[in-house]
Amino acid sequence: MNGWTGKILRVNLSTGKLSTEPLDPDSAKDYLGARGLGTKIMTDEVDPKVDPLSPKNKLIFAPGPLTGSYAPSAGRYTVVTKGALTGAIASSNSGGVWGPELKFAGYDALIIEGAAPKPVYLWIRNQKVEIRDASHIWGKTVPETSDAIRAETDDDAKIACIGPAGENRVLFAAIMNDLHRAAGRSGTGAVMGSKNLKAIAVVGSGAVTCADPKAFETAVMDAREKIQKHPVGGAGLRLYGTNVLTNILNEVGGYPTRNFQDGHFPTADKIGGETLAATLLQRPRGCFSCIISCGRVTKVTNKKYAGEGEGPEYETAWGFGGDCGVDNLDAVTKANYLCNEYGMDTISMAATIACAMELYERGFISRKDTGGVALEWGNAEAMVEATRLTGVGEGFGKKLALGSYRLAESYGHSELSMTVKKQEIPAYDARAIQGIGLNYATANCGAAHVRGYTISPEVLGVPMKVDKDTIEGKPALVILFQNLTAALDATGSCLFATFGIGADELAGMLSAVTGVAYTTDDFMKCGDRIYNLERQWNLAAGLTAKDDTLPIRLLNEPIKTGASKGMVSRLPEMLPTYYELRGWDGNGVPTPAKLGELSLTA
Amino acid sequence: MKVQYFATLRDVTGKKEEDWQEPEATVGDLIRALVTRYGHAFERWVVKDGDLWDLVIVLVNGHDVRNLQRFGTKLAPGDTVVIFPPVGGG
Repeated sequence: MNGWTGKILRVNLSTGKLSTEPLDPDSAKDYLGARGLGTKIMTDEVDPKVDPLSPKNKLIFAPGPLTGSYAPSAGRYTVVTKGALTGAIASSNSGGVWGPELKFAGYDALIIEGAAPKPVYLWIRNQKVEIRDASHIWGKTVPETSDAIRAETDDDAKIACIGPAGENRVLFAAIMNDLHRAAGRSGTGAVMGSKNLKAIAVVGSGAVTCADPKAFETAVMDAREKIQKHPVGGAGLRLYGTNVLTNILNEVGGYPTRNFQDGHFPTADKIGGETLAATLLQRPRGCFSCIISCGRVTKVTNKKYAGEGEGPEYETAWGFGGDCGVDNLDAVTKANYLCNEYGMDTISMAATIACAMELYERGFISRKDTGGVALEWGNAEAMVEATRLTGVGEGFGKKLALGSYRLAESYGHSELSMTVKKQEIPAYDARAIQGIGLNYATANCGAAHVRGYTISPEVLGVPMKVDKDTIEGKPALVILFQNLTAALDATGSCLFATFGIGADELAGMLSAVTGVAYTTDDFMKCGDRIYNLERQWNLAAGLTAKDDTLPIRLLNEPIKTGASKGMVSRLPEMLPTYYELRGWDGNGVPTPAKLGELSLTA
Repeated sequence: MKVQYFATLRDVTGKKEEDWQEPEATVGDLIRALVTRYGHAFERWVVKDGDLWDLVIVLVNGHDVRNLQRFGTKLAPGDTVVIFPPVGGG
């Protein structure tokens, strides 16, 4: 095989058994890799009713056929499992350099089964795989873990690991790789912690082979040029990072403020990308084979919030910022660093604090409950302390560790949790932008923006501008973005490559590297297939059409101020058309005809 | 009217915002006047082939002119115009 390595590594932590098996060529062809291959393995091997934190859940790390090649921004891998936060299929995507290293070591997927009796880490050097004791590393932060394991394995080892949050099964714990990158959402870190697996260290000395090197080179150089010529992919993201979105969303009135109580935050500029570039930014940073370099290397010198690392990204700046009513960039950045060190998803951490702040405002939580932390809107110190407590697993942090849905539910007010399928909604107000609301409600992993990033057409105007306030055409638009993204994710490419290239170019590079001829239609069909397979898995897990919804606030409470004042989400008007265009029945179940079209079985 | 600048346009104009005193009938009139004031450094982020660059976000009182009349969108003295060059995504 080319592009693919043709080999899967299977590790059973209960028995200690290590084995490899060939990658099934039909699965590879139909599901590509990464998110797609991981979903196929989950379908074949994991009972959807399983408890996510039980040994019966599996944890799959999968790069894609493009990962580790020199295709632009092709450095990604996906963690696929049953999400601890959601009980739905989780497919958390991460960048950095760890994914390519797994390819260089010779694997298209790593399947972790069972649970180790004591803390362990996995050490992979090409074909040599060992399960090693991690008792002396358990409890360490992500940077400490990375240092300790490199000292025992290889200075060049690439490390994916959990911090104390994953060990303590914080329901939104992340798996971190290369220190600052995260397979963040849905609690993949808690699943890893439940298996007593602290880290996976990899050194690979192979390379990704290519079926048609000449065609690949031509396709790659064309793709690179298109990305470089695009103002966002070629310049903008390097200058300001994703956090440039703060002012954009705020000015169109779709910047969720104080747990979505409003859609506009008057002092947002203080925590936006322009301010970040002028103050804390040291330099940009890119992942493997990436020319976009959206990453932010930053440093906070203010003694109160001192630290260094990477970030904040837009979602993080929003969550710890406007969603909590905070406009202190040093504090927001510190909270980001804490999440990276303890291994937590910044979106869910921040939005859970915002939910707690509203519960506090309304008197459902008292200062006694929080152990003295004054969870007032805009209290930057309290926001950072709440983050730290969650990371270390102390005091009120133990309650925040449940995520906003279970936290709010425990006080009898789950309606104050801004979640879909128990996963916290990110940084775009569904009342101000109709299509993204439909995407939140129907994303298979729970509320997520990157699954179908219609912010691009609805706000930015990429690839073309559509009106954010209309619902006509939105179901079709959301489906297009969801399918394209699923296929793109499955190649191992980064979503930001779409600031420049699209399905045509991706299909071209994929065909050249694998030697399997994908037309653009074939490529999009893979995306549709992956999406439907995820949907089937979720339905078998017990999710229903009732879970394809938004918090009542977004359906009924109009935005109060700003450019989108007076708006609500019109999800109920869009959902039936969405189901119909997806080829699903009125209950959101894929019809036999649809399954047949994608060669899936009921 | 109030004009607010973001991202690279802050560097180009040296400002975050300004009170634009000249009456401009349309968005196109305003942009052309700003190009006269700030030159090619401004123009290259906003104008393409004599028209509004498709990827630029220009809001008039919070509404995107690409969903109105683009350069033909009418302006009134009390309006707030916000201009983002094409730099953002996430």
